[in-house]
Amino acid sequence: MQRHKKVIQLAKKMVLLSRDDAGVITEARVGEVLAGLRQVQPRHHLLLLRKYLNYLRRELARQTAVVAAPVALSPESLEAIAEYYTKLYERPIQAVAAEDESLIAGVRVRVGDDSYDASVSGYLQRLAARVQ
Amino acid sequence: MPPITLIMKALFLFSLLVFLSPFALTAAGDDYAEAPESIEALLGEEPAEGSILDTFREIFKKFDVTWPTLIAQMINFILVAFILYQFAVKPVMATLDERQQKIAEGLQYAEEMKDQLAATERERAQKVQEAAAEAQRILGETRDQAKEMIEAKTQEAAAQAEAIIRKASEATELERQKMLSEVRQEVARLVVETSAKVLTRELSAEEKASYSNAAAKELAES
Repeated sequence: MQRHKKVIQLAKKMVLLSRDDAGVITEARVGEVLAGLRQVQPRHHLLLLRKYLNYLRRELARQTAVVAAPVALSPESLEAIAEYYTKLYERPIQAVAAEDESLIAGVRVRVGDDSYDASVSGYLQRLAARVQ
Repeated sequence: MPPITLIMKALFLFSLLVFLSPFALTAAGDDYAEAPESIEALLGEEPAEGSILDTFREIFKKFDVTWPTLIAQMINFILVAFILYQFAVKPVMATLDERQQKIAEGLQYAEEMKDQLAATERERAQKVQEAAAEAQRILGETRDQAKEMIEAKTQEAAAQAEAIIRKASEATELERQKMLSEVRQEVARLVVETSAKVLTRELSAEEKASYSNAAAKELAES
């Protein structure tokens, strides 16, 4: 139990070290952290890596806005969305486009656990739910 | 003293007189044998031929009855009569008295029993009357109770029927609501599905891109 706590603390610290000055997790920083880990060779490094990966994914999801649309969006739209959610969450958020034809038209943005739906299929589903 | 005892005593004395009277008459005839002659002589009449005294006198002569024998017989008879009276008649009288007493007591007892029987009969009739009245009262109460029970049961049955009808109505309403909801859901699903299919087929890529960019812009500006 004590060992797990220490591993979790270390994994969280590694995630913090993976951020750049703007607070964004970058590939370069993650590479540096992993290189350092390789040099140190701590005990339970497999468990530590697994925890680090989990926290890293969670952190990436928190600072990434997945913008789903049936067709490719213009770079301006993605930029506007990134800017808006950066302001909203007060942390740097990058917009990543994803294709989803089931949306018919419009967009659906997912930031971490939050979801914002402005798609036609979403409108139709809400309409159906209201009718029911 | 009971009348039967008096009658018995009277009969006894009468029989004693009857038995003694011939002897007395005979004795009198003997004593006054001379007298009629003197009286008749005084009256100047001839003695009557064949009078009863002569008859007795002849009988006495024929049976050889003399005064000493007669007196002895009389004494004997009185003794016998006294002994019979003391040892036969008196106990018989006492027995008769006792029997009479018992009969009287029996009659009195029978009379009392008769009165008691009549009283008992009256009491029984009264009891029967009371029992009949009680039976009528109980019957009336039972009828009233049965009537009340029937009314209560009827009301209960009516309430139960009403509750069943209400429940059935509620169940029907629920079923109707459920059916309506299902129909709504189905219609909504069909509408959404159809709209989605139609929109997917009818919207061109440019229209989709235009709409999506507009939606993204709207989302970013909201």
